[in-house]
Amino acid sequence: MRLTVLLKLAMRSVGRNTRRSALTSLAMVLGLALLVFSRSLAEGAYDKMIDSGVRMGSGHIAIQAPEYLETGKLEHRLEAGVVRLASEVANDVLRESLLSWAPRLSVNGLASSTTAAVPVRIEGVDPELERAFSDIEDKLQDGRYLEAGDRLHAYIGTELAQRLDVQVGNRFVLTAQTSTGDVEGQLVRVAGIFQTGIPEVDQSLIHIPIDTAREWLHTPGATSTLAFLLKESELTDIGVETLQLKLENERQIRVLGWRESSPELAAAIRLDSTGNYIFHSILLAIIALAILNAIMISVLGRRREFGVLQAMGLTGVETGFYVFLEGLFLTVVSGVAGISAGLLFTWGFFRDGLDFSIFMEDGLEFGGQIMEPIIIPHFSVEQLLISTFVVVTIGIISSLYPALRASKLDVAEAMKFEQ
Amino acid sequence: MKTAVRTTNLWKIYPQEPDPVEAVRGISTEIETGDFVAMAGPSGSGKTTMLNMIGGLTRPSRGQIWIGDREITEMSDKDLAQLRLERIGFVFQSYNLLPVLTALENAEFTLLLSGVPKDERRKKVLELFDKIGLSGLEDRKPGKLSGGQQQRVAVARAVVANPALILADEPTANLDSKASTDLLDVMERLNQDHGTTFLFSTHDPRVMERSRRLITLVDGQIESDERRNHSSVSP
Ligand SMILES: Nc1ncnc2c1ncn2[C@@H]1O[C@H](COP(=O)(O)OP(=O)(O)OP(=O)(O)O)[C@@H](O)[C@H]1O
Ligand SMILES: [Mg+2]
Repeated sequence: MRLTVLLKLAMRSVGRNTRRSALTSLAMVLGLALLVFSRSLAEGAYDKMIDSGVRMGSGHIAIQAPEYLETGKLEHRLEAGVVRLASEVANDVLRESLLSWAPRLSVNGLASSTTAAVPVRIEGVDPELERAFSDIEDKLQDGRYLEAGDRLHAYIGTELAQRLDVQVGNRFVLTAQTSTGDVEGQLVRVAGIFQTGIPEVDQSLIHIPIDTAREWLHTPGATSTLAFLLKESELTDIGVETLQLKLENERQIRVLGWRESSPELAAAIRLDSTGNYIFHSILLAIIALAILNAIMISVLGRRREFGVLQAMGLTGVETGFYVFLEGLFLTVVSGVAGISAGLLFTWGFFRDGLDFSIFMEDGLEFGGQIMEPIIIPHFSVEQLLISTFVVVTIGIISSLYPALRASKLDVAEAMKFEQ
Repeated sequence: MKTAVRTTNLWKIYPQEPDPVEAVRGISTEIETGDFVAMAGPSGSGKTTMLNMIGGLTRPSRGQIWIGDREITEMSDKDLAQLRLERIGFVFQSYNLLPVLTALENAEFTLLLSGVPKDERRKKVLELFDKIGLSGLEDRKPGKLSGGQQQRVAVARAVVANPALILADEPTANLDSKASTDLLDVMERLNQDHGTTFLFSTHDPRVMERSRRLITLVDGQIESDERRNHSSVSP
């Protein structure tokens, strides 16, 4: 019964001390809005990083021979039968969550023209599958990307083209050690030239049709990597687990998640999220101080009010509880306002993405991956729940000390002071 | 006559460097139920300390205090709070009201704490407001009331639950003479109509004038204690 009186009084206090409540809310709104904004942006940035990272790399999930990740050698490949089995199982298991997939047969070799010979990484790809999978076609500078039915075509980077001194339509020779152990050459013609902005890629990556590669390397039906792109990167772990379980008995097969197959990308994200974590902790600490400050000030300035309450028959504990409730209400009200403002702000202005291209000219290189300079904020319910939880916790903690002080108030002393 | 308040050999010594302050030094006195008592004396003579001890806000260093038939110096803080709620009304010099509540809400607050139903609360407060000239001001916040009106709301709040005793520490100190007179009128009327015991401190000779008993303190002791014959109040 008295609890309801205290509750009512506390709500009144928050509702009627409008200026104080507004100021606290403002601090919370700014802090939380910034928090929600930067969190969802960070999440969005990770999505982006992972997405472009895995598209350039070997997808969210990769199926390879067990040693391939370490060696990268042609001899550690999946043979035709295994490829058929694995792609069947994977397409079946991942069906719901699969966006696209691509087979790749890769080998290290040499690209030679009349001008120069340059060490390169040659990837045999299925043009149709690959263009749906990677975004390398978007980096086109000249000519075109590979197409179905292409035989002797190659898609190369700008720097490689320069060093070989070739242009679209020109021919050059690829040489590599084939599966028989002999070094053999393959004549190709430049179909298109791309530029990613990453020097290592632009000077060494070559795409050729996978059938051409298989014939040249005498590895019919083989691939180095079966790469799978999922609709959401969150689906990776469950996908990997299911596949591992299904393919348990296939000794020649290894199933990897993107964190394993692209360790640099995983490390980059980990590093960045640590930075974010610190930033967000500081932000929360500032919010906590603002609330503590608001409650403290209100308590210090209201000793007479608490004195009157106790002279009327409220106990010290009840007075403390009143202050506690008030702090809690203040936190909840301004917390909800803050989180909503953050969401509205982020969603209202940036739901279609935030363009960072004014800050960087040719996209952003991050941990060896290129990133489009447009980030779409990612709202996660989990993040929101955590933020709300943290805010309420802050409110509780910040209210405890003022409440304790109010409960220990010396009424006679408090009534002496003019307000 | 029944006793509303009785103190025996009451002392209050504030520990303070270099010398402790003896604010109240062995006061023994009785206040009768229904009396209208003023406490006077120079500044620092111990008036506030006495009132606070009687109201259970300050614990005495020595001696006993009875409110009715209950000895309060050994009571727990919780019991003291309950005692104040049920039997004692306080009126301070100023800022008696909760700023976030209206005049009416302030006046009914002790009833609210005691769990009196809303209709009954409203009825009592409205009657009281009518009697003491506050009708029409029910919905005003304290900030929008004059000092005299605020003090009358405070008195209304103190008496509304029918306590046995009202303790008022210089209730007219911040009021001009007209407002002081009005407040005294209100207190007197409530004293007569409800039989509520009033014990108030004051520096104002005109207020002392209107008491039925005047206790004068000097240096924490009773210097004089006189019954006054009041023309307007005949027992
Ligand atoms: N908390 C305290 N600590 C130390 N001394 C105190 C304390 N409270 C009051 N005193 C001292 O006790 C004495 C009596 O104070 P009290 O407030 O009771 O006087 P008073 O008669 O109400 O004075 P006034 O008319 O100015 O209100 C004074 O000397 C005062 O300084
Ligand atoms: Mg005093």
